[in-house]
Amino acid sequence: MEIHDDLRLFDEAFIKQLNREAENKIEYWDIRATFTEGTTLDFTDQKSTEISSYDLTSCGIRTFVNGGWGFYVLKDIDKHKIKAGFLKSIKLSVLTESLSKNKFKIKERDPIVEDFKIDTQIKLSNVDIEEKIQLVKNHEKFASDYSKMIKNTRTIYMDGLNDSIFINSFGSIVKQKLSYLRLLNMVYSQKSGVIQRSINSIGGLGGFEISSTEKAENLSQKTAEESITLLNAKSPVGGKFTVVTDSKLAGTMIHEALGHACEADLVLSKESVLEGKIGQKIALDDINIIDNPSIGQGKQFGLPYELFGSYFIDDEGIPSQKTIIIENGILKNYLHSLETASRMQLIPNGHGRASSSSSKPQVRMGFTYIEPKDWDIDELIEDTKNGILCEDFLYGYTNPTTGNFQFKCKFSYKIENGEKKEMMRDVALSGMILEVLNRVSGIGNKKTFNYSDGICGKGGQSVRVCDGGPYIRIEDITVGGLN
Amino acid sequence: MESTVDVYELAKYGIRFAEKKCRSFKCAEIFVGNSQYTNIELEENSIKYSEIGSDKGVSFRIYNNKGSIGFAFTNQLNKKVVENTVINAAKMMSAGTSDPYFKNLPGEYKSYPEVDNLYDKSIKTLTVEDSINFVKELVQVCSEDDLAISQSGDFTANHNKSYILNSNGIEVFGEETLFSISSNMIVKDKITGETSNGYESQIKRKLIDIDAMYTAEEALKNAKKNLNRIKIKTKKMPIVLTPKGTINLILSPIASAINAQLFQYKRSFLVDKRETKIGSEHLTVEDNALIHGAVGSSNFDGEGVPCKNKKIIDKGIFLKTGLLHNSYTAGKEGIESTGNASRRSFSSIPTIGISNLILKPGNISQEELIKDIKEGILLNSTADSPNISTGDFSGLISQGNLIIKGEIKQALNETMFGINLLELFKNIMLVSKEFKVYGSYYAPFVKIDNVQIIGANS
Repeated sequence: MEIHDDLRLFDEAFIKQLNREAENKIEYWDIRATFTEGTTLDFTDQKSTEISSYDLTSCGIRTFVNGGWGFYVLKDIDKHKIKAGFLKSIKLSVLTESLSKNKFKIKERDPIVEDFKIDTQIKLSNVDIEEKIQLVKNHEKFASDYSKMIKNTRTIYMDGLNDSIFINSFGSIVKQKLSYLRLLNMVYSQKSGVIQRSINSIGGLGGFEISSTEKAENLSQKTAEESITLLNAKSPVGGKFTVVTDSKLAGTMIHEALGHACEADLVLSKESVLEGKIGQKIALDDINIIDNPSIGQGKQFGLPYELFGSYFIDDEGIPSQKTIIIENGILKNYLHSLETASRMQLIPNGHGRASSSSSKPQVRMGFTYIEPKDWDIDELIEDTKNGILCEDFLYGYTNPTTGNFQFKCKFSYKIENGEKKEMMRDVALSGMILEVLNRVSGIGNKKTFNYSDGICGKGGQSVRVCDGGPYIRIEDITVGGLN
Repeated sequence: MESTVDVYELAKYGIRFAEKKCRSFKCAEIFVGNSQYTNIELEENSIKYSEIGSDKGVSFRIYNNKGSIGFAFTNQLNKKVVENTVINAAKMMSAGTSDPYFKNLPGEYKSYPEVDNLYDKSIKTLTVEDSINFVKELVQVCSEDDLAISQSGDFTANHNKSYILNSNGIEVFGEETLFSISSNMIVKDKITGETSNGYESQIKRKLIDIDAMYTAEEALKNAKKNLNRIKIKTKKMPIVLTPKGTINLILSPIASAINAQLFQYKRSFLVDKRETKIGSEHLTVEDNALIHGAVGSSNFDGEGVPCKNKKIIDKGIFLKTGLLHNSYTAGKEGIESTGNASRRSFSSIPTIGISNLILKPGNISQEELIKDIKEGILLNSTADSPNISTGDFSGLISQGNLIIKGEIKQALNETMFGINLLELFKNIMLVSKEFKVYGSYYAPFVKIDNVQIIGANS
């Protein structure tokens, strides 16, 4: 596979040199170097506020000895500077080790020597800037013209091509060529003093074809419709309710209410309420929760591209794979990086991810979801006496130490005697991690399964993620409201 | 980018190249950023990561005579790449849409303020060992406490240089330092086994002002205050915001709502509220860039415009001049930029940001503020933020305690609250004389009456 010329400096002789320098001083090292080029288009009210192109390089050198890590970041891909950076990184890890109290080893893994490439139908580099702009203009125009009540529109287009190399002291050499595209649409509408907004985005790993899928083409229509509909929504009344969530919200809830607390770095640092709970029953029998960021899942959803949260290998050279988090209600696995797996005497499961080569890997999710069961959407609603049907989300977060989580829904409808009634806005849901999974009273079937993609933040880094599930029903959720 | 001279020359070359090569050229700007940092990370109360890194790059912003913008950036600093970047930016510009609201990039200014202590030369001699010593102090606080079981945290030293040049005669150079320390302390109740956390951080311009012990002790205090959590019933009651709560619910929303860009798009809940009363007489806010040694201070903004002090809200009245502008939004309104153009790095187009946003302290102590409350809530933080276009807030109390008969009691679980910000501003009853500085915010304690609390206890 052809990758960026400058990355060829990591040849056999150079890697040998690095290994010689590391010998007898440190126990593990890895280097990530990346070339990125891309385009960002940002339009508001059909006018361009940013049209930019960039090309950036970065290189992160990580070294390890007996519990101490060193990390050296530079922006030049240059043999001499990388060698000097490598030596500095060694000094840093040795110094860190001398002062750290917490000693541990990194367990050696089999090396991986492989090339990975995201297949694209329409190469981003073959698409003119004018064509990308036309795409954004079309979405802007559609949203603006949708209704007189629409006051503001914004569309952001981002794409990027990423050539990278990963090498480590196990002998791994992984070259990758990635291509991604993300389109985001925001619409603000106004009626008699009330302002409402809606946001939708789609993203994936692939070429320009991502922008012409049905989902992408309907993006601005969906957003415009939603923002207009929300104008008639009422503020909710706060209190305890039975809540039926759609698949996107179910996914967000699993991500926030369970996923973060399963990240083994938080478990080791005693920041997770799930510490010591492997093998214990923490949810109802019916509940199975998975994280599977493997490549190849776009097809399942009829998409000609890869899911936004998918990857070939993580940023520590471990292949992405399916991990069972909860099986029949029992907590089976945490998500691991090289370090956390080594320390817990386990095999790493590919969750050491970094937002770029300039940042160090942390334990992160990929595509987290709850497996479907047997309820129809209609059945779930009909079977609910008094409750709220919540659809899609604005954002969510959790405190893994206390177990309290919360997220905001985009829309909600009252359910009265099994019937979907009036719409509500700004509904916030809150709960406790260890309680909510025991209050699920209905899990939707395969037909109700869907996912959403987005960006998840942790420790100042952002990574691409997906989450999903079927429709689910939960009893006794605290709903925040203005009234 | 080995020396200042080279960068100036490279930037000037870029501008000349743009003037010469770009059709229908109106104006252009080059921003060069260079930063270096050292970061020490603490996990499981043990020093774990030492990191040294740098970031550098150049961005080029160019407009044609129809107001169409092009932007390009790279981190390879040589003549050839600068030429390519200019060509790219010009290509972007020709592809963009015209904008009649764009007036011009800022022109030359005769004088700039002289704010002291934005740069601390001790960064030059700061070693990794010195940096680790700060983190060692964090470790000590956790090790010596009975209930503390773990701590994560970090120390970071940043050294940033920026150069801005534009074709209208702006030419400025700035150098600043930022040091920060943080602690997230984990405590465990010995009897119940319940865990909780407390967070505290500092950002300072001068290294000597970093107080690691204090930071860890405050985090520990917060963590302990957050043990023994209970769920409460739904009820209306007064809340007292700690400085962090004041930032969450008053200062940070105001920072967004007075952003002229949001305002011009009519996406701020303060639209049409200028020169009217939007809060109680206790609400007085200013944005001051000229405080010596403050984190949000600067001599010039992200476009090279001189910074100043701006009155925003005076005794509840939202002033006519209470908006923050960059050159674009100011041009659209036909006024001068307020010097609030902000850019996170060379890779971003200037947006609008606060300098030091200050809620004027009152004259009573924080104890007095609480002592007459029969039943209320001390709100330390929420991770939610209001809807800026409507001012509606509904969210979760991440850290808060009950106040019973003037005393701070149990911590809260699953407790939410909802209020519109204009109502919240109106219900500001008292502001303490004590205040804390977190980054660019100066925040006192604030008492607010009549807030709808939603508890999980039925």
